[in-house]
Amino acid sequence: MRNALAIARKELSIYFTTPWAYVVFTAMLGISSFFFVNLLATFREVQGLARAYGWNRLPTEYAAFKNLTDGVVVQLWDVIAVVTLFVAPFLSMRLFAEEKRNRTFELLMTAPVRPWEIVLGKYLGGLGVVWATLGLTIVFPVTLSLFGASESGTALEWSTVALGFAGILLWGAACMAVGMFVSALTESQMLAAFLTFAILLPWMLLRGLAQSAEEPWRSVANYLSFSSQLSNLSRGVLDLKALVFFASVVVFSLLLTHRAVEAQRWA
Amino acid sequence: MPSAMIEVNGLTKRYRDRVAVDDLTFSVPEGEILGFLGPNGAGKSTTMKVLTGYLPASSGTVKVAGHDVFEEPYEVKRRIGYLPETPPLYPEMSVRGYLRFVASLKGVTRGQMASELDRVAHATGITEVLERLIQNLSKGFRQRVGLAQALLGSPPVLILDEPTEGLDPSQRAEVRQLIRGLAGQHTVILSTHILPEVTMTCARVLILNQGKMVAFDAIQNLAHALGQGDQTSLEDIFLKLTAAA
Repeated sequence: MRNALAIARKELSIYFTTPWAYVVFTAMLGISSFFFVNLLATFREVQGLARAYGWNRLPTEYAAFKNLTDGVVVQLWDVIAVVTLFVAPFLSMRLFAEEKRNRTFELLMTAPVRPWEIVLGKYLGGLGVVWATLGLTIVFPVTLSLFGASESGTALEWSTVALGFAGILLWGAACMAVGMFVSALTESQMLAAFLTFAILLPWMLLRGLAQSAEEPWRSVANYLSFSSQLSNLSRGVLDLKALVFFASVVVFSLLLTHRAVEAQRWA
Repeated sequence: MPSAMIEVNGLTKRYRDRVAVDDLTFSVPEGEILGFLGPNGAGKSTTMKVLTGYLPASSGTVKVAGHDVFEEPYEVKRRIGYLPETPPLYPEMSVRGYLRFVASLKGVTRGQMASELDRVAHATGITEVLERLIQNLSKGFRQRVGLAQALLGSPPVLILDEPTEGLDPSQRAEVRQLIRGLAGQHTVILSTHILPEVTMTCARVLILNQGKMVAFDAIQNLAHALGQGDQTSLEDIFLKLTAAA
């Protein structure tokens, strides 16, 4: 465990001494700010319409805009999930591929460190940076709660916001785990990033892709799809099934990564 | 005779169809410095990678201090300091940060950390660059940081793949001095293609050519065996042996 932590510390120090982490932070904040401002504008518009005509006469899909939690934060989490899909591969790609290209993999593999410690250490480092990226987005609900208002007192329903945020963190953790496994298969960081994206995107959208499929395949696809697993959490429903699902994806990816690292001994 | 620290038995390494190391058998007693010689591509680096547990052998066994590399990799890795062909450095890290990272992997405790870093930095002459980023170092300094990394934790066995590569003549002399100082407490396998270096540092040499062992003896004995006088240089022996095969 001590070794795993030493490796995690090393990974974090490299993330933060190279521009990568900062580029990703900026991208995450920039893109989500854009959507945040847009969602706010829509929110104000719908509220204005509702004041003029009453909620009953507005289309039903506008009902979400009755409060800031459902109208802005919940929808923002969906946006952030998509942004994560794009940035996580850039954070995970270097984990193993860079070590192999730099020949530092030889150092890790000949040091008195067990393969699972390497995998765990690298994953913790990656998790640290992806959670730091996602952690920045808490600034949006905080801003709303400071400057927003609602009829019931507090501007936001924090339990809903917290579950949605937890969902986003789990999604980031899953992206990182899959990305790390792909990175362990190649020396090329670009290839690792691209393949990770190519795996995560259809996986996330599996539900939509399988819409026309026959049962039971549609239910299976629905269950395996990241977006359906996320949907309950982001709406503030504590969904144990989703927690188990994300934990399984992470553990399974770590096991695969461990196999890939061990395979070096048999090459 | 002291017990053998490194025992290699029938080691063969194949990469698909190509045989990189062919049925190599030798042993190194504790405290000895063995020179590993051979033309480029003879299998020196491959042998070293198998010895350190980085690559598996296709057949044959390797034991370090009685532990089989394949069966008990952890026990072997604990006892080996390894400088690969390309020093395994993280360009973004400072020399001190890098050495601290490697030292913690090798189980150097927090209390000993500062003195252990000082010791290896002093021994390899990198004290003045400890705070610099590795990517800004010259080739010679990088090589020495790689060597410093191998010395961390004072492992009983050192496997050094061309440790003087990229150094200027005076640095090379310093590193030679350093390696000679390791004899007795450390068992060292050292590869090089700079022949005079072996004569100056090693008691015995092993010459590889196309994956096969063509000689394994003390330098003087080799000269005698080839029917030449004591004056024969290692260069003559080397050329003769590697040409014959």
